[in-house]
Amino acid sequence: MHTEAIDPSGVQWLRVSPKYVTVRLVEWAIGNVLMLVVLSLPLIFVLLGWWRWPPLWLAITVPAVTLVLALWRLVLIPRQVRSIGYAERDDDLLIRRGIFFQRTMVVPYGRMQYVDVAVGPVERSLGLCTLKLHTASAGTNAHLPGLPSAEGARLREQLSARGEARLAGL
Amino acid sequence: MSLENDATESLPAKPEQTVDGDWNRVHPASPFVRGWVALAAVGFFFGRDAFERMLQGRDFMDPNLSGRVPWLLAGGAVVLLLTVGGFILSWYFTRYQVAEGYVRVNTGFLFKQQRQARLDRVQAIDIVQPLLARIFGLAELKFEVADAGESAVRLAYLPLDQAKQLRATILARAAGVVRGPETMEEVPEAPEHVVLSVPPSRLIGSLLLSEQTIGILLGAAVVVTTSVLFDNNAIFLALIPGILGIAASYWSSFNKGYNFTAAISPDGIRLRYGLLDTQAQTLPPGRIQALMVAQPPIWRIFGWYRIHVNVAGYGLAASTEGARTMLLPVGLKPDVLRMMSLVLPDPGVEDPERVFTAGLDGLGPAGTDSAMSDGFTTTPRRARLLAPLGWRRNGFLATKTALLIRSGRWWHTLVMVPHQRTQSMALHQGPWARRFGVADLVLHTTAGPVSPRVFQAGVEQAVQLFDQQAARAREARKRQTSEQWLAQVAPQAPEVAATQPAQPDQPTQPESDMQPRTSPQQEDRHDG
Repeated sequence: MHTEAIDPSGVQWLRVSPKYVTVRLVEWAIGNVLMLVVLSLPLIFVLLGWWRWPPLWLAITVPAVTLVLALWRLVLIPRQVRSIGYAERDDDLLIRRGIFFQRTMVVPYGRMQYVDVAVGPVERSLGLCTLKLHTASAGTNAHLPGLPSAEGARLREQLSARGEARLAGL
Repeated sequence: MSLENDATESLPAKPEQTVDGDWNRVHPASPFVRGWVALAAVGFFFGRDAFERMLQGRDFMDPNLSGRVPWLLAGGAVVLLLTVGGFILSWYFTRYQVAEGYVRVNTGFLFKQQRQARLDRVQAIDIVQPLLARIFGLAELKFEVADAGESAVRLAYLPLDQAKQLRATILARAAGVVRGPETMEEVPEAPEHVVLSVPPSRLIGSLLLSEQTIGILLGAAVVVTTSVLFDNNAIFLALIPGILGIAASYWSSFNKGYNFTAAISPDGIRLRYGLLDTQAQTLPPGRIQALMVAQPPIWRIFGWYRIHVNVAGYGLAASTEGARTMLLPVGLKPDVLRMMSLVLPDPGVEDPERVFTAGLDGLGPAGTDSAMSDGFTTTPRRARLLAPLGWRRNGFLATKTALLIRSGRWWHTLVMVPHQRTQSMALHQGPWARRFGVADLVLHTTAGPVSPRVFQAGVEQAVQLFDQQAARAREARKRQTSEQWLAQVAPQAPEVAATQPAQPDQPTQPESDMQPRTSPQQEDRHDG
């Protein structure tokens, strides 16, 4: 996995499971197909002659633009998933994500208050899980989606153990 | 164990004081002080009609209702009795105890709640006196722990002296001054030294010149223009509720900020303020997670600043209230520097005044690329199109103990985060920032009004800072080992004892009380 400019040097990133692309695809389909159907209703009504108001061009443009944006997001999904990475260092966990809007986060083990492992229905069928780290700050929005269940469990135990060893107050 | 008992018994036992470890109740009048609105509502509901009739010179009772008068009266009496009965029951079943390193509160008679909070986890203690409580000499004690929600323990209401006494006891226990057994002796209130106070004239001036005022003036200009253009005066009538609201908000700011006094004591920073409702906050040392000094443009004429802080116990709800997270509502630069030195006793630089001044008002050089003139690393010149105003101002400086972040060309802000308070960090870079080779560094702290962010630092500096900051935070955390702030600076503890005023009727505390003891605490003597 190649590193970006904002990534600390000398870090070996671990990637999340490629199967996570499927999870994202399902999420994408549920969100966007519904939205497209709703936005296409005016077009259908106008074509059927039930509605007068939205002029034909507007009734076409809105769903068309939505469709293009949705397809754009669809194309990006595999790259976005590939951009998610994490690395366990001696004292902290690094998490990175994003292609256009990149974010590299460091969470010290001693700062972790608790670790969550969440599994959704699609993830469960693929044997994946999502790991969430919580610190005393609400700004720490550190979650690692698409981890294989075994890796998630290992990471959870590892993080808890390391957190306990390095626990600090607030 | 026996040694500790000797130490306790050598102190003269004082009669009629709240024995520590016993279950105590709050003041009997407190439900009425708290629930006076409910009582007033009952009275208003039943009394208004009769009162209006008397004013109009008619019968005391509506003649149509005369047959039902007894029923109405009985209904009113029942509601009143139920309310008062509820008050008494809630008072009777509310009990608290400070013992064995915990403060415990039991409440409720149908749905019982037992709550205990560790004393050494205290983030802040407030003593609040709403107007009515103040008339009766009562006070509410709020004990905050780091859950960013509501107060962990609220004791409403106690007599003011008792509340202060309890605060002193809790703080002494939490600080590690008083250790070991559940001693009976009264913990003297830590002596305090007033650092600064805000004169009312400056407070009024700061309110009149605040951002709010600018917004109102702009709004007023718009309204006047439209009403002139459309020749419509009705628009002014529609504004009356708005004007009332604005007046109320100014009044509440004034009421809260009036007579603001900051003091330092071994227990931490003490803040007192309020005109009608008074409040006294105590922030133990090291409990401030982040600090922000801000200066709106108009305030620069007078050189005023205000300071907000993040404290774990106050959380987000307090930041909307505003007052509790305000470390200084308005102050001059010396005041700001003094408050910053209280928050961060060891600034970690040679000449803190110059560094802080550069952080407050400094501007980076316009010329060479990312030159370091005043110590702050500013946005590189190549990104000046991205931040045409702020690029010379946006900057950061890491001292040995804290990270200073300055930003804002017009709205000057300076954010300070002690290294050991950093929770986690993230580097952010959007497409434009990548084009200009800059990145933002966000530090995550507990919920509050301050959100530290280094804007548009050069990528190489940002990554370097990211790495160094992680290391510095790690080092600082290792140094900070104990939650008990006096126990971790052991040499200072006897000093504190020396500064405490000698009690006339009580011999000075034995030296052994000040030394950390490791023996186990006495078992539940008073439990039951």
